[in-house]
Order: sequence, then C-alpha cells, then structure tokens
Amino acid sequence: MEFLLEVFTEEMPPSHVKAALSQLEEKFEEELLSKNIDAKKVEIHGTCRRLIIFGDLAPKQKDRKEEIIGPPKAVAFQDDGTPAPAAKGFAKSQGVNVNELEVIKTDKGEYLGVKKIEKGKPTQNILSEILPALISSLSFPKMMRWGSSSFRFSRPIKNILCLFNEKHLSFSVGGITAGNSTYGHKLHCPKKIKVKTFREYKATLKKMRVVVNQEERRRMILSQVERKLASLKAECYPDEDLLERLSFDVEYPYVFLGSFPEDYLNLPIEILSTAMREGQRLFSVVKDKKQLPLFLGVADGYRDVKSLIQKGNERVLKARLEDAKFFWTQDQKSGLKDRAKNLGKIVFQEKLGSYEDKTQRLKKIVAYLADKVDAQKTKKQVVQGAELSKVDLLTEMVREFPSLQGKVGGLYAREEGYPAPAWKAVYEHYEPVSLEDESPSSLTGSILSIADKLDSIVGAVGVGVLVTGSKDPFGLRRNAQGICKVVLDKKFNFSFSRLLDKVIDVYGAKIREPENQVKKYCLEFFANRLRYIYESQGYRYDLVNAAISAGIENIYHSLLRVKALDSLKESPNFEPLILIFKRVNNILRDQPLFRINSGLFVEKDERELYTTFCIVRDNVLPLIKKGDFSQAQKIIFRIKSSINNFFDNVLVMANEMRIRRNRLALLQAINRLLIQVADYSQVVIEGQNASK
Amino acid sequence: MSIQNLIMNLQKFWADQGCYLAQPYDLEVGAGTMTPDTFFRVLDKKPWKVAYVQPSRRPTDGRYGDNPHRVQKHFQYQVIIKPSPPDIQQVYIKSLVSLGINVQEHDLRFDEDDWESPSIGAWGVGWQVLLDGLEITQFTYFQQAGGIDLSPVPVELTYGLERLEMFLEGKDDIYDLDWSHDVSYQDLRYVEEKEFSEYNFSQADIRGLKESFRLNEREAQQLINKDLLLPAYDMCLKCSHFFNLLDSRGAISVTERVKMIAQIRTLVSQIAQKYTAREDSA
Repeated sequence: MEFLLEVFTEEMPPSHVKAALSQLEEKFEEELLSKNIDAKKVEIHGTCRRLIIFGDLAPKQKDRKEEIIGPPKAVAFQDDGTPAPAAKGFAKSQGVNVNELEVIKTDKGEYLGVKKIEKGKPTQNILSEILPALISSLSFPKMMRWGSSSFRFSRPIKNILCLFNEKHLSFSVGGITAGNSTYGHKLHCPKKIKVKTFREYKATLKKMRVVVNQEERRRMILSQVERKLASLKAECYPDEDLLERLSFDVEYPYVFLGSFPEDYLNLPIEILSTAMREGQRLFSVVKDKKQLPLFLGVADGYRDVKSLIQKGNERVLKARLEDAKFFWTQDQKSGLKDRAKNLGKIVFQEKLGSYEDKTQRLKKIVAYLADKVDAQKTKKQVVQGAELSKVDLLTEMVREFPSLQGKVGGLYAREEGYPAPAWKAVYEHYEPVSLEDESPSSLTGSILSIADKLDSIVGAVGVGVLVTGSKDPFGLRRNAQGICKVVLDKKFNFSFSRLLDKVIDVYGAKIREPENQVKKYCLEFFANRLRYIYESQGYRYDLVNAAISAGIENIYHSLLRVKALDSLKESPNFEPLILIFKRVNNILRDQPLFRINSGLFVEKDERELYTTFCIVRDNVLPLIKKGDFSQAQKIIFRIKSSINNFFDNVLVMANEMRIRRNRLALLQAINRLLIQVADYSQVVIEGQNASK
Repeated sequence: MSIQNLIMNLQKFWADQGCYLAQPYDLEVGAGTMTPDTFFRVLDKKPWKVAYVQPSRRPTDGRYGDNPHRVQKHFQYQVIIKPSPPDIQQVYIKSLVSLGINVQEHDLRFDEDDWESPSIGAWGVGWQVLLDGLEITQFTYFQQAGGIDLSPVPVELTYGLERLEMFLEGKDDIYDLDWSHDVSYQDLRYVEEKEFSEYNFSQADIRGLKESFRLNEREAQQLINKDLLLPAYDMCLKCSHFFNLLDSRGAISVTERVKMIAQIRTLVSQIAQKYTAREDSA
C-alpha cells in the first residue's frame, strides 16, 4: 500500500537537505525492519523546501510467532498422567489453560511450552507512532528554533503531508499536525492542494511548478543548458558542486543566459569564475577552453518573460566584476614583499601567533623538505614561495573572495615576475582540498602544501587540540589526508618521523604539550588517515592493517607495502606462510629478547633455517630500503620449506635452556625481518579469527 | 519610486502589520540590530513588534565617494517581530509586492546565510534574500543575544534601502538614486562620504580613540555595577564605534583586536544577563 510523507519547510540549505534525505532513508528502513513491516519500495525525494518519503508497504506488520518454554516434559506430569504443579503454574503464568500447553522439542530434550502468535498491527498505526520521532531525530549541521517552541530543525516546518493507502495519518511534530494537503511553488503557485496518491502528488505539484525529484531537476538544468549553448557551440564550464547545489536550491529550474562587458575578460579566469560562482551561483561559459563574456544562471521558476531576471543578474555581476577589477589593480599598487610586513597583524591561531610567525616556520620547513625530496634545485624558489604564501590574506581580493586564497597570491607573484616555481608554490599550496581534488602540479607547490598543512596539524596538536569523532574544528583530518595524498601522488620518499621532529623543533616553546606525546599523537593520527585512504581505495582492511602496523616512518612505503600484500594475496603460498608467521609470532609472545649463537644450532633443520634466513635477510634488506616490498616478499616466501621443516623436526622449547633460547633467538630474528615488510599477524585468514 | 517613498511605503506596510514605528537611534551603530529597540527587546519574554530606519556606519567600507555601491554609512530598514510569526516569509514577500515588485516576473531566493556578531554575543540562522541575484534583505531567526538563548525566538528583517532602491530605479550607481523628486543621494551624501572616508582612514586621532575606548569601557562597567543598564549599553555602542574607527585606521594589532572584542562582549553579556534577570522578575 502506498505511503507518502512530505515535510514542508522554509528554504533549507542544500547541505541540510542532503543530510536529511540520507538520514530519512536509513532511519525509515531501519524502523520498518524493526517493526516487521515489509516494504516493496522506499524512495527518497527532496527540494530545498520538501523532504519526501514514498513507499510501498505491507498493510500490516508480520505476525510474530513466539515459543515460551516451560518445565521439562519429564516433570510436567504426575504418575497418573495429570499435569503436575509445575505445568499448572507455568500455564497460569502465561495466562493459558493447562491443556493448551504443547510439547516443544529442543536440543536439551522435550519441554512443555506455549506457542503464541502475536497478530501484526495495521501499518498505519505503527507509522503514526514512529514518524514523529523519526522527523524529530533528524540532525542538521546547524539547528534552529523558531516562534515560541523549543523544537529544533534545519528551518521552520510549515506543513506535513502524510498519506497511507490514500488516507491521511494523524500525528503532530514540531507543533504541526499532519494532514492530506501541501502547497505549490512559493511565488508561482502558492495555493494549497489536497492529494491522495504519489502519482497525483507528483503530477499536481509539477503543474504547480515544483519538481519533487532532485535527479529530474538536475536533468532539466542540463538539458536547458545544452539548448541555450547549442547555437554558440560553447560549453558550460563544468562545476559539479554548483550543479548539485542548484538542483537542490530551486523547485523548478529555469536556465537563463546572460553576458558581461568584454573588457572584464582581462581578469584572470580564476577570479572571473569565482566572482560568478560565489554570490550569484552562475556558471562560466567557455569555448575552446577560453572564457566567453557569458554566463548561465538557474532561476527558481519557469520563465523570464521580460528578461528581468537576466538583466538583473547582469547588473549585479557587472558590479562584482567592477569590484574585482578594482581590487586587481589596487592590490598590485603595493608589492607582495611590502605587504608582507603586515603579516604580523593577522592571527593564525590564538595560541600559535600570527601569520608572520607561521611564514618564518614555513621557510624553515620547506628548506628542510626540499633537501629530502631531491628538490635542491628549486630550494631557493620554494623558500621564496613560503615567504609570500600568506601575503594574499592581506589583499582586498582575498577579503572579497576568501576561496581564492593562495591562487590570488600566486597570480600577483606571477604578475610581479617571480619565477614559475615560486609563484606556483604559492598558487597551489592549499591543494588538495580533499581526496578527490588534484595534488599540486609543481614540485614546489607540493612541498609548500605539505609544510603548510603539517605546520597547522603539529601546532594544533601542540596546544592540545584533539580530534575526536565528529569534532575536528581545525580541519586536521582534511589537512592530514591532503599531506598523505601529495606524498603518495608525488611518490615522495622521506622520513616522516624526522619531518615531524623538524616541525616540532621549529615551533620551539610555542608547543605546550610534551614533544614526544605530540609526535606520538601525530603518527597515530596519520596512521589512521592512511588506513582510511587505503580502505576507501578498496584494499582489504587486514592487509592495510598489516602494512601500517609495520610503521609509517616512510608514508610512501606504506602504500608500497599495501600493494605488495595485495599483489601476493592470491598466491597459493600466501595463506600457508601467513599461518607459519602467525605461529612464529605466537611462540614469541611475551618472550624476552635473545641473541643467536650460531655455534649452538644442533639439529640439521635449524642450521638450515639459519642459513636460509641469512641469505634471505641479506637479499631482502636492500630491497626494503628501496621500497621494493613486492620483491622482498617474494624472497621472504622462499623461507617456507626451511621453516616448515624446522617446525616439523625441531622442538623449539627444548629442555636445555641454552638451546631453547638460541632457537627463540632465531625466530625473533626472522620476525624482526618480517615486520619490516609487513605485520603479518594482522592478516586475517578465512576460517580463522584475526589473532589480535 | 524615491528613497523617501520607499521608506514611507515600508513604514505603512509594517505599521499595518502591527509594528510600532521607532525613530533611528541617536548613536553611531554598525547595524540596526545593535540599537536598544532590538538588542534589549529581544532578550525578554514579551511579544515585540518594531520597525525603523537605522543609519549604519562601517568606517572601513568608505570609498571617498568613488565607488558606485560601497559607502561608509548606509540606511537599513529594520523589522523585529517576536515571536516569529509562522507566515513571516509570505508577509515579507507581500511587503515587496507592496513596493510594486511583481515577484512572479523575478527570481526571489532565500539563500542560506547565517548571521553572527561576536561583539554583542549574538547569532541567528536565516538567509540573504536575493532578488535577481541582488541581496536586498537579511532575514534572520535570532537564536542568541548577549550570550543568552532567546525564547520566544524573534525574527529580524533587515532591508538594505540603497540596494532595494537601486533595484527599483534600475540604476547602477548609488549616487544617482533619488532621495525625493528633486534631491538626489549625491546631493545628500557625496560630500559626507568623501570627508568621512578621509577621517576614517587618515585623520581620526588614534590616541584619542584609544583613550575614549578605555574611558567608555570603564564607565560602562561602573554603570553596570549600578544597574544602569541602558546607559551602560550606550557606552558599549560607543566603544564598538571607536573600535571600528581604530580598525579603519589600521591601528589595532592582533592581540589588541581579540582583547577589545572580548572586552565589549564581556560588558554586553553582563548587561544582557542583568536585564533578563530584571525583566523576568518584574
């Protein structure tokens, strides 16, 4: 039977709508499951003013069968076959007649018991019960109250429509009583309408200029964009975030094309497109990768009869571009170096001082890092980049368009004639802003990006900011992921732990927490970020654990470890070896460290294992150093037959202590070698629980 | 429609909605929100409906009269209704219709924009209202003021009168606007913008302002101790304006900025707390 819920509100931000829709879907399906209501279909739709669930649900809950076990059959009857007091008492406690008790067979034998069938309640009753709690439980990035109520939601709820089997369900939430009506488009058709079915609801609302499905609105935008641009042979500059935002922002999309005076094309494209995107949410139009003096906007409506919408937007955009042009020339009246003198006036972080302080740290960190990643040739330029990196925070342009930070500084540096490695470092140093974003294209940008982010992380941790659960006020996770991404994309080979030491050292007395704890926390924090990255790339979680437990001294090597494990996981040798390695690991648990004395090997198989181990070790260590874990692993696997023979024919726990210790020492040496490739004890073998 | 007609229209409209028409407050403020008709009246539990024009000063926005849409003083039309009525969005749209705007021919959008003023410990949730891409109103459900959770929740509508008028007259330059049929914005404001920009950016006496800030801050605290909350609040407004002037003179260091904002906020929070205690027990 058809179920329809529409929560109708004042305009919610797109991020709120998205959050609410995914929560609604998840929670509603959970509720149905726990209430034993079958659903043939559950669909979620939404606009900035509506959260909608449509479903095809069973008319009632499934009946629940329940068996209640009473006394064993053996004691339930007296010798004469009449029920014993135990049976009578049980029947009474269950509210049934004693002769209604049945024999129930269990693993432990036969018992008396009752089989009860709890009849399912009508779905509509259950829905009226669960929906108020479901709606109130939605959580949004920021919640508000309104009127005289203490109810909290994204924006005020205006109306609730709720139908089941064409009849409306009655319940109240947030001071609103559910009914069978809703409203059309706010400006074009604000009338109240009554509906009975989802089909009717969708069709009537469409006539009233509301398209309830987000995908459909998105398609409408795209097809209108195509139509507008067809004759121009131009393209809309792709902006997935903006498209998604707009498809939630409007209830009925109308795409309009507008233009701006050509002389603004002298502004860099970064600034033009930002001026269009932010504020008015306009798309740039490009032809052969060149910006045209045109834009596309999406209005909430279905027409622009007098072109008022287009002209209005053109006027506003022109004013914004005029501002941008003013800033562009004004900002360049004083050089970056000159402007840098004011960096001391802006706070980086209250306890960590100003951007001047940060700049000085960055210069030292990039100089150090440039040496470590073979960038000595551009060391001078990356230090120059670091010096200029934060200056654009003092420009009018960044004050107007904060999202252009970095880019603006880079562009000004380019205009001032700084060499490409220097201005690109500035331009790219905030990249990547997410795992989906690109890493900086330049080597200098990559170095500055890592330095900038690590400086922020170490500083925050150093003054006691901890990231827990949903709490990450300084965006440390995003920063750490950014660093990992750059290191992995650029295949940077350097000691991460020493870089941490360097950053901590550069901070000096500003770090208030004990230095070793800051470092420990950072290493653990990065290990978790790497786990997240590798797992979201599809690597098996246990292989990821095995790779990361071997340490993240070298971040890039941790990826090579994961890849090596992944490439060998299908090999027939893999599982048997893992089992042997786990066995080694188990034997060694809680043992103190011993030293090998090769003279004490008495059995043939232990001597042979020792010899094999020495050969393997000498071959493997250089490979580990190089990061060739795949090859290292292949060679390590050659130890298999020797170690098998050892376990088959040699008693590790020999009675004579000297011999026992020597054998343990050999296993310890093997283990030490293994752990440099991966922590095999973390690998989970099917049919065997992870030994953790 | 001239600016004065726009004002008269809004006055009529909101008076018909039951608002009391206040007169502009006689101290320099950064926004209509800061005047006592808003700040104090949102704190208590009593219903409240008020509408007024408030000249608002933002010294750093001065452009010597050279910029067609940026000025160091502009006019806000401020409406406060407590508790927020359920149909306030429709009423607001009607107010635009009453100005002769055919909303069905335009794109009217409520675009997420939350508002916050750290120095008076206030924040709210709402939108900037965009008319064909032009921001004409800030629409806010007040959640906190003076660090206190507001209940009932007031709604605040702040129309930018110049913006709205530029839309109505279809003009691109603020100075071309008509204040009345024969007095232009240029006639009234150009010299003022030029001279005040010079004052704000170059002439305001830094030492004098710092001293004034200190004196008023001290006096505010003394007045709070004597439960003279309205005069104490005036002192805070003065501090806030001195701070803005110092800011436009580029005379505030990092640490000073944090400290001065905290000083004002501390005073304002005390006032808000004492005021609510007094009103709730009255």
